[in-house]
Amino acid sequence: MTDVHTLAGAYALDAVTDLERAAFRRHLAGCESCALEVAEFGETAARLADPTGTGLPPGLRAAVLARVAHTPQTRPGRPRMGRPRMGRSRTVAPVRWRRWTAVAAAAGVLVAGAGGAGYLVRQQQLQDARERAVAAEARVAQIDAVLTAPDAVVRQQPASGSGTVTVVGSQLRGAAVVVLAALPDPPADQAYQLWLGSGGELTSAGVLPAGQGSTIGLLPDLAGAELVGVSLEPATGSPTGQPTEGRTVATVPLT
Amino acid sequence: MSPRTQESTAAEPLLRAVAGGDGAAFAQLYDLVAGRVYGLAVRILRDPAQAEEVAQEVLVEVWRTAARFDPARGSATAWIFTITHRRAVDRVRSEQASAARLRRVAAVSAAGADYDSVVEAATTRIEQQQVRRCLQGLTERQREALTLAYYGGYTYREVAELLGTGLPAVKARMRDGLIRLRDCLGVSRA
Repeated sequence: MTDVHTLAGAYALDAVTDLERAAFRRHLAGCESCALEVAEFGETAARLADPTGTGLPPGLRAAVLARVAHTPQTRPGRPRMGRPRMGRSRTVAPVRWRRWTAVAAAAGVLVAGAGGAGYLVRQQQLQDARERAVAAEARVAQIDAVLTAPDAVVRQQPASGSGTVTVVGSQLRGAAVVVLAALPDPPADQAYQLWLGSGGELTSAGVLPAGQGSTIGLLPDLAGAELVGVSLEPATGSPTGQPTEGRTVATVPLT
Repeated sequence: MSPRTQESTAAEPLLRAVAGGDGAAFAQLYDLVAGRVYGLAVRILRDPAQAEEVAQEVLVEVWRTAARFDPARGSATAWIFTITHRRAVDRVRSEQASAARLRRVAAVSAAGADYDSVVEAATTRIEQQQVRRCLQGLTERQREALTLAYYGGYTYREVAELLGTGLPAVKARMRDGLIRLRDCLGVSRA
C-alpha cells in the first residue's frame, strides 16, 4: 500500500489540507479500487451527520427560500472533480475478494480457538476481553459526551518540561477530559496523577496508565472543582494523598 | 444498489426535481435535511450564528448546483452533507489557527427552547440510532480519531498532535474506523 493511499480515511473525513487533498485526487485518478473505497468512505462519513440533526433557527427557512427564489441554477455540465463513481461492475470484484478473505480469516481464527484443551481458557479470555471492551466503551461514551457537549470549553497549557496538557470541560455534563500530549514518558513504575482543586483543597482524580506521557484521562465528576492538576507520582499514586512537592507538571483552571 | 436510508431514498427524487428548477421540491428537501445541515455546522463551528450563515450558504448551493448531483456517485443526502462538512471545516480552519481553536470557548447555548426540533428529531431517530450503535462498535482509538476529525474539523495532523500519536497510526485509525463503520452501516454495492 502506497503512502498516499493510506490517506483514504482522512480524505473522506475532510481531515486533510488542500495540498494533501489535491495529491490524493491525483492518486485516485489512477487507482480504480481506491476510487470505490473512497466513494464508500464518503458515503459512510456523511452518515455521521445523522446524529447532529437539531432544531432550526426561526428565520432560516424563510431566508433560504427567499434567496433561492432569486438565485439562478447552474446548468448540468461536466461534473466537478469530486467523489468518484460507485459500483462500476469491474470494481466490485476486489471488494468481494477482500471481504471473503476477511471472513475466511475470521472463521480460521475461531476454528483454531475451538480446537483442543485451549478451548476453555480461550472462552475465559474472550469473556475477559468482552468485559474490558464493555468497560472501555462506557468510558469512550463518556469521553465522547464531554468532547461533543454543546458547552465544551477547551483549555490548553504547556506542561513544565515538555508537552501539553489539554482539558476539555463541560458544565452541562459535569465532567472533563484531560489529554496529555507528548509529556516525557515516566519510568514504568511511575505515572501521571490527576487532581481536582476546589476551595484550596486538592483531591486525587485518578492515576493515569504507568509509563505513559501521552494518554487520556476522564474526570467523570467535576463536583464544582476550579482546577485540574497533573503531577508525576509512583504508579500506585502519591503515598501522601497530595501531589508530591515539586512534581506538579501542570495546573489548568476550569473556571 | 447499496441499502440506503429512508431519507436518502426520499431525498433523491426531490434533488432531481430541484435540479429541474422545482421550488416546491426544494422546500420539501429543505424540511428533510436542513436540521442536519445546520446541526452539523453547529457541531463543527460551535457558534450558532456562524453555523446559520454556513447552513444558508450550503442550502443555497444545493439549489444552485443540484444539476451536478450524480446518483452513480453516491446518495443525495451524502452529497448534501459532504458539501456541508466541507464548508463548515473550511470556515473553522480559515478562521482560527488550530492552537487558537483548541482554546476557543464554545459559544453554543444549551438552550433549545426557541427551536422547533420535534419534527426533525422524529424523522431522523432511526438513522441516528444506527449511526450511534455503529460508532459504539469501533475501538476507542478509532472513535477518537473519527470524532475529532469529523465533528471537530481537525486535520489528521492536528488529531495526531492532540492525541500525542504518530501520523501513520492516526491515518490507519481513520481508515480502519471507516471500514468498520461502513460494514456496520451496510454502505456498499458489493
